[in-house]
Amino acid sequence: MAKFQTWWRRGSGFVWFSGATLALSLLMIGGLVGYIAVKGLGFFWPTPLVQAMTPDGPVLGEISGHEKAQGEDAAKIQFHVGNRDVYGQDFRWIPKTALHDFSTPADAVLVERLEYGPFIGRVKSLEQGGQPIAQGEAALAAIGARLSDAINLQRTIHRIEKKDVGALNSQIEALRIEQHRLELKGADTSQLAVKSRQLQTSYDAAESRLAALRAEAGAVTVTLATADGQTKTLPLAAIVRMVPANALGVFGKSRIYLSRLWEFLWDDPRESNTEGGIFPAIFGTVMMVLIMSILVVPLGVMASLFMREYAKQGWLLRTLRVAVNNLAGVPSIVFGVFGLGFFVYGLGGSIDKLLFADKLPTPTYGTGGILWASLTLALLTVPVVIVATEEALASVPRSQREASLALGATKWQTIRNVVLPGAAPGILTGLILAMARGAGEVAPLMLTGVVKLAPSMPLDGSFPFLHLDRKFMHMGFHIYDVGFQSPNSEAAKPMVFMTAFLLLMVVVILNLFALRLRSRLRARAGGGGAF
Amino acid sequence: MTRSISYKGVAKRLDRFMAWFISLGGMTIIAAVLGILLFIGKEAYPLFLSPHSKALATAALPPSSALAPDETGRALATLDAAQGVRGFTVDGGHPLPPAANGPALPWRTHTSVDGKGGFAVLGADHRLSFGRLTWDKPGQTTDPAQWAPVAKWDGAFPVGDQLGTLLSVRTLAASGLAGGESWRVVALDPGGALRWAEFTSEDATPVDDSDSAAPETPVAKAAAPAAPAQWRALSLPDGQHPTCARLSADGKAVFAGTREGSVLFFNLGEDGAPATLAASVPFPEPVSALGFALGQNALLVGGERGGLAAVQALHQDGKTVLQEFHRFPKLDGPVLGFMASQRDKRFLSFSASMVAVDHLTTERRLFSATGQGFKDAALSARGDFIFAQDGTGALRTWSLDAPHPEISSRILWGKVHYEGYRKAEYVWQSSGGTDDFEPKLSLMPLVFGTMKGTFYAMIFALPLAILGALYTSQFATPRLRDTIKPLVEIMAALPSVVLGFLAGLVLAPLFEKSAVSVLLMPLATLLVALALVPVWVRMPKWFRLRWGNGREVAWLLPTMLLGLLVAAWVAPAFERIFLAGDFRAWLLQSHGYTYDQRNSIVVGFAMGFAVIPIIFTISEDALSAVPRSLTSASLACGASPWQTAWRVVLPTASPGIFSAVMVGLGRAIGETMIVLMATGNTPVMEWNPFNGMRTLAANIAVETPEAPAHGTLYRLLFFTALLLFALTFILNTVAELVRQHLRKRYESF
Repeated sequence: MAKFQTWWRRGSGFVWFSGATLALSLLMIGGLVGYIAVKGLGFFWPTPLVQAMTPDGPVLGEISGHEKAQGEDAAKIQFHVGNRDVYGQDFRWIPKTALHDFSTPADAVLVERLEYGPFIGRVKSLEQGGQPIAQGEAALAAIGARLSDAINLQRTIHRIEKKDVGALNSQIEALRIEQHRLELKGADTSQLAVKSRQLQTSYDAAESRLAALRAEAGAVTVTLATADGQTKTLPLAAIVRMVPANALGVFGKSRIYLSRLWEFLWDDPRESNTEGGIFPAIFGTVMMVLIMSILVVPLGVMASLFMREYAKQGWLLRTLRVAVNNLAGVPSIVFGVFGLGFFVYGLGGSIDKLLFADKLPTPTYGTGGILWASLTLALLTVPVVIVATEEALASVPRSQREASLALGATKWQTIRNVVLPGAAPGILTGLILAMARGAGEVAPLMLTGVVKLAPSMPLDGSFPFLHLDRKFMHMGFHIYDVGFQSPNSEAAKPMVFMTAFLLLMVVVILNLFALRLRSRLRARAGGGGAF
Repeated sequence: MTRSISYKGVAKRLDRFMAWFISLGGMTIIAAVLGILLFIGKEAYPLFLSPHSKALATAALPPSSALAPDETGRALATLDAAQGVRGFTVDGGHPLPPAANGPALPWRTHTSVDGKGGFAVLGADHRLSFGRLTWDKPGQTTDPAQWAPVAKWDGAFPVGDQLGTLLSVRTLAASGLAGGESWRVVALDPGGALRWAEFTSEDATPVDDSDSAAPETPVAKAAAPAAPAQWRALSLPDGQHPTCARLSADGKAVFAGTREGSVLFFNLGEDGAPATLAASVPFPEPVSALGFALGQNALLVGGERGGLAAVQALHQDGKTVLQEFHRFPKLDGPVLGFMASQRDKRFLSFSASMVAVDHLTTERRLFSATGQGFKDAALSARGDFIFAQDGTGALRTWSLDAPHPEISSRILWGKVHYEGYRKAEYVWQSSGGTDDFEPKLSLMPLVFGTMKGTFYAMIFALPLAILGALYTSQFATPRLRDTIKPLVEIMAALPSVVLGFLAGLVLAPLFEKSAVSVLLMPLATLLVALALVPVWVRMPKWFRLRWGNGREVAWLLPTMLLGLLVAAWVAPAFERIFLAGDFRAWLLQSHGYTYDQRNSIVVGFAMGFAVIPIIFTISEDALSAVPRSLTSASLACGASPWQTAWRVVLPTASPGIFSAVMVGLGRAIGETMIVLMATGNTPVMEWNPFNGMRTLAANIAVETPEAPAHGTLYRLLFFTALLLFALTFILNTVAELVRQHLRKRYESF
C-alpha cells in the first residue's frame, strides 16, 4: 500500500494519463494510415471465388463482408456476386444458416469488363462470327491467347475516336465559329464551304474505318454462364481482364496484382469512376500543383525579399507580417469563394468579353478552369512560402552579407549571389510545404474548376497544347465525389481507398522530405555562424 | 578601365531597378493578399444598401379603373368600364391600338388584372366573360409605340341580374380528358351578400358574335338559350357584412373581409355541398381590401384606417386556423388595393393619398410616395416600376431599385415567421422547387452548427493535444520525443478529404453498429490501466526505471489497444443488460434523442484529427520554451516531475497554450471537407450529439456552385465568407500577439 501511495503522490497516475492520451493520438494516426494502406493496397489482390448452396440455388462470388448476429438479425455473409446486368445488384447479404456446401471451384472466373462491372461465373464457349470454336476449359485458354490482340484493337478504336475524330471535330468547330464571325461582318464564306466539305470527307473516311474496326472487334464473342445457369454473351473486345482466381498460384496472383496496379495508375476511369484507373485525376493534380508552384514561388520570394530586405522595419511592417502569416489560418473555402468571384466571374468574364466574344454565351475563361484553380491555390499557399522564405533569408548569416557588400557588390548582387543561394534550401522547404498543402486542399477547387469527369485534359496534342481554360480532375475531389456522390458506393469504396492511399502517400512523403530539409538546415544554421 | 566602370554602372542601374521592382512587386502581392478581404466585402455589402427610388416622368392618360403594366414597365394596359381594354406608352402617354372584340360596352363591373393577366368582366348584356391580357410586340421590337395589348376572351356566361360587384375570379385547370377549363367567381349580389358560382367552358357562349378567330366553334351563332348561372350563398355570421373577398389558389376556399373587422375563411363544398365557415381571425379595422403575395399563400389585408397585415391559413389535423403573421407600416387613409410582384415577395399597396411597396418576409417598406386622389396603382412584374393614376387620369411613375429586399438584419439574426410555419423560427432553406418559394435565410442555424461542430471537436481534441504535449515536452525521453514529433507533423499533413472520407464512410457505419463499445472505451481503458497499477508498483526498481521515466508511452500503446478490445468484447453484454438490447431505442425512449448515422460525435472525432496536431505543436513549443532554470529549481526543491509539470511549467506556458487553443479553434471553425462528408449537412439547431449540423464553411461549399451569380444568395454566401475570414483572422492575430509577448518575456532567461 505504501508503494501505491508513493506512486500516487508523485503524480505518476497523471503522467500515465497524459501518456495514455498521447498513445491514443499515436494509435489514431497509425490506425488511420494502416487501415487505408491495407484496404487500399489489398484491393488489387485477387480474392478466392467461393461457391455455396442456398435454398434459392447456388451463389458464386467473393466474400466481401461478415456481420455478427445482433438482436433479431442472424449472422450474415456478404457476397460480391457481380453481374449487375443479370442480377440488378452486385452485393448480396445471405444469412449464414442458409448457406452450406462451400467450395472454391477451379474453373470459376472473374471477368473485368468495360460495362456493368465484373462478371463472376464460368466460361461456356468462345465464338467467332456466331460459331463456337472452343468450349469450356479450352475456351479459357483460347481467350487468354486472343485477349491481348482484342485489347489492342479496342485501344486502336479508342485512339482513332479520341485523337483523329476528335481533332476533326475541333477543326469543324473552329470553322463554324469562323463562319459565324464572317457572317456577322457580312463577308464572303464560300472558301470556308470548300474547307468544310474537305473536313466532312475526312470525317466520313474516319467513321467508315471505325465502323470496319468495330465490326472486326465484334466478330469474336464469349459466352459466360452465372452460377445459377443464366448466360451472357459479350464481344471479346469488351473484356479487360480474365481472373481465374481459384486456379492461380502466388506468382499468377502477383501478376494480376501488378497489372491492376498499373491500370490504376495509368488508365482512364470507367463505370462513372468506380472502375479503371485514375490517371486523369493524377495528371490533373500534378498539373495544377505545377502551375501553382510556378506562380507561388516568384510571388512568395518577391514578397519576402521586399519585407526583409527592402522595406523599412517599423511597426507597420510587423503588423503586415502578422497579417500575412495569419492568412495561413484562414479557411480555404474563403479563398475558393474569392477565386470564384474575382477570378472566374470578374477576370474571366472580362477576358471572355475582350478575347472570346464570338463564343459567348458559352464561357471560355468565365467559368472554372485549371488556371483559376491554380491561381486560387497559389494565393492560399503564398503565406506558407512567405513564412518559410523569411525564415530562410533570416538564417543567412549577416557576416556573409556584409562581406559581400564590403567587396563592393551592390545590394541586388548580394541578394542574387549570396543571400538567395544560401536561402534556397529554405525556399525549397516552403515550396514543398506549399505543394503538399495544395495537393490536399479540395474545398476551393470545388468552386473554381474541378469536375467529376473531364472530357479532355489540360495538356494534349491539339494546339495550343496547354489549355488553361479547361476543367480538370483532382485526386482529392475524386475521393469526395466517388465516395459520396456515386450511384454505387459499395462498389466504389475500394477505389476510393486506393486513391486516398495514393494521395496520403504523396502528401506524407512531401511533408517528410520538407521536414528533413528543414531540420538539416536548422542544424547547419545553428553551427554555421562561425564566420 | 572604361569597361569596368561601365560594368559598375550597369550593376548600379540594375540594383536600382531591382529595388524598385521588388518593392513594387512585394507591395502588390501583400496588397493582393489583404485585398481578398476587401473584395469579399465589396461583393457582400450591396446586401445592406437601402432601396433607391426615382420619380420618372408623369403622363396624362384618360381615367381608367385598372392598370396592367407590361413586363418591362414601358407600356401600360388599362381597363375602363366605358372604353374596355386600351393601351398606352408610359413615356408620354401615347395611345396604342386598343384590344378589340371584348364584351359589350359599357361594362357593368370588372375585376382588376391579376399577376398572370387574367380578369373577368360583366358586359352590358349581363354576360360574364373571362379575359387574359397579353402583349403583341411585332418582330420583338423594343419601341413601345409599336406594341399593342391583346385580350383573349373565354366563355360569355349569362348571369342575369344576380351579380352586383365582381370580387374575385380563379381559373381552374382542365381536369380529366374531356373537361375544359372552368372558372370560379365570387361576387357581391345587389343586396350586398356574398355569392359564388362555378362556370365550365362547355356552358360558354361565344363572347363576341363577330369573333372570327374561332373557326372551330361553328355552332350556335343563334341566340343561346340562357340558363342563368347557379349562384350559391356564402353565409356570414350574424351582423357581419362582407366588403371584399378572394378565392384561394386552388379555388376551393374563399377569404372574405368584413366591415366589422374580421377575415373569414370558407371551404367551398364540393359537388353541390354548401360552403362552410372554417376559420376566422379578427382585424382591428374594417377590412377594405384583400390581395395575395406571390405564391398565393399569404393573404394581404388592408383596413379602413390604413392598417396593413398578412394572414395565412394553416391546416393541421384536419382543422383550419387563420393566423395574422405579418404587420406592415400603416398607409394614409383606407387601403384601396394590392398588387404583388411576380418575381419575389414584395407587393404594392395603395390608398387615396399614398402608394407603398413592402416586402412580405422582412416587413420592410421599400418605397412610399404620397399624392392625392389615387384611384389605382400597379407594380410591374419584376417589381421595379410603380405606377399610380388619379381620378383625372394623370399617371405618375417611379422606378425602384431594390435588388436584395429579402435581407435585413432581423432576417439574418432573428426569428422570422415564414409562410406555412406556425410561429417565428430560425430556418435556413435557401431555395425550393418552385419559383414562388420564400427563401429562408437565417444565419443562426449555421452559426449554431459551427459552434456545435467546434465544441465537439474541442472536447475531443483539447485533452488529447494538451496532455499529449505535456507528456512529450516534460516526461518523454529525447529519443521518444524525436519519434513523436514527426509522427504528429504527419498527422498535421493529412488532407482533410481523406479524414472526412474515413469519418463518413467507415467510422459512421462502424459507430452506428457498435456505438456502445465506442462509448465504453474510455471507461474500459481506464479500468485496464488501473488494473496494471498494483502490478507496476510491485515491480523491481530497475524495471520501473527502464520502462518508466519517459518510456511509458511504449507500453501504454498496447495497453490502450487492450482496453479498446475489452470494450468491444464487453459492449454487447452491456447493451443487453443495461440498455434493454438496443442502444438507439433506449436513446429515443429515455432521452428523446434521435440517432443519425453521421452525427456530431463522428465529426468531433474526425475534426480532432485535423485540430490535435496544430494544438499539440504550438503547445509543445510553448511548454518546451519554459526556461530550464525554473524546472530545475522545482525539481531541486524535491517536487516530482508531475508536480513540476502541473504547478510550474503549465501555468508558465499557459499563454502559449492559450494561443494554441485559439489557432486550433480557428482551424475547427473553418474546416469544410470533414464537415461536408461526415455530417448530414442538415441545418438543425439542437445540442443532441447524435445529430448532424451544417456549418458556415460547409454551407458555402454546398451552396455557392448553384447560387445565381450576383443574386441575393450569392452575396449572402460572400457575407458568411467574410464572417469566417474575420473570425479566424482575429483568433489567429490574438494568438500571434500572445505568442510574441511570451517570446519577449523569456528572452532574458
